[in-house]
Amino acid sequence: MFTLLFLSGGTGSRMLNAVPKQYMLLAGKPVVMHILERVDQLPEIAEVVMVCAKEYEPAIALMLNQYGVRTPVRFAPAGSTRQESVRNGLAMVATDNVIVHEAARPFVKVEDFQRLMEANEPNAMLGEAIPFSVLVGHEYVEGALERSSLVNVQLPQKFQTQLLREVHEKAMADGATFTEDAAMLHKYHPEVPIKICPGMPYNLKLTTRIDMLVGEQIYDEVFRKRK
Amino acid sequence: MATCIITGVGSGIGKATAIMLSHRGYYDHYALIGRNAADMAATAAAMSCNIPAAAIHTYNLDLSAPEGIPEVVASIVATTGSIDALLNIAGYTDPQPLLTTSLESFELTYRVNVYAPFMLMRECVKYMKTSGGKILNVASTAGMTPRPGWLSYASSKAALISISETLTAELSEYGIMVYCVSPGRCATKLRRRLAPDEDPSTIMQPEEVAEVICNLINPAEKCLDGQNIVIRKMINR
Repeated sequence: MFTLLFLSGGTGSRMLNAVPKQYMLLAGKPVVMHILERVDQLPEIAEVVMVCAKEYEPAIALMLNQYGVRTPVRFAPAGSTRQESVRNGLAMVATDNVIVHEAARPFVKVEDFQRLMEANEPNAMLGEAIPFSVLVGHEYVEGALERSSLVNVQLPQKFQTQLLREVHEKAMADGATFTEDAAMLHKYHPEVPIKICPGMPYNLKLTTRIDMLVGEQIYDEVFRKRK
Repeated sequence: MATCIITGVGSGIGKATAIMLSHRGYYDHYALIGRNAADMAATAAAMSCNIPAAAIHTYNLDLSAPEGIPEVVASIVATTGSIDALLNIAGYTDPQPLLTTSLESFELTYRVNVYAPFMLMRECVKYMKTSGGKILNVASTAGMTPRPGWLSYASSKAALISISETLTAELSEYGIMVYCVSPGRCATKLRRRLAPDEDPSTIMQPEEVAEVICNLINPAEKCLDGQNIVIRKMINR
């Protein structure tokens, strides 16, 4: 069984909106509910630990009831960084395995979650090839990266809960910062295999306002069943 | 076990549809909702000629008080285990021009024709959204063109047409198909209030509308949702 550690603590500052993006409407539905509804169809996910700002808990609880979500959901406090939010959520995870996902990525199908859970390694992530050239540099070019050796990291990711807790403790002790958890696990446990499952081209992370417009198109094309 | 909920089964199109569906065998259970227990019992008795009486469940509810709908829907699920189709057929009319329409009359029309279908759809979708299903709303051609003197009825049916079109898109991800039919003149009690001098034998009969509804609600039908389907009959003059 898995717990979904669902990161919903973002403030949406890059969206230039008073309402954080995960609570804005996408295809007529709050962004955050897209994933919660689909996860509700997965019996392998025993519980959701939702990391969010305290003031949004009542609104989310109301939405869970309105949308008839039956999977139990508990709240964990959002941290000042993503890393701290994951650590806060991990403290509440009760299953041996955890899936980390973020509310800003609403375009994950039920089958995508299933594929990740069924991956033949206990630690796995979604990743896509990078279809463009990547250089190193700031004001001047300082080098080139071999794109065939790079992976565009997508969420969700799955981990052994205890192992992820352990590396988060180490990172905190070291004062080290990571933008996602596969990199952290690999840094402290390079011997642990992290399987890369094929990501999806539609798994857009909503970051700026234009992503909401693009997201409407993705929803129409990928999720709306009436063609 | 598939379940179909039907409102307006006491007479007219709802009654004809319920009886016709009992011949078709699309669903295992039928939940009939209405305010007149005797009329519902008569419809249930007619249905039981074709299906076991245990497959027919009646729920006494006046749809002008849609606040009671969540409890009824929960009760249906507790009894039958699922909701797979919802047919909003019940209707009400009090044909009046603007200046004689009271707020109470206007609100009552909307309660039966708009609020009750809205509440039924909202509550049923909570259960239907994991398995998909069908919703069919009976609007009216009166909701499509100006009808002086029928203000509350015509506008309520226009609302139901719009709701159906919106929900077709909104519920698509769940595999829920939303149909809307707009019958023209049909020989029902409601029509008699709208056109008391009309000879009902000269216009479309409830069974003819029911035939279309049954064809749409057939689980094999996959293409005709999301549009306002007008049902009119060619008559001999």
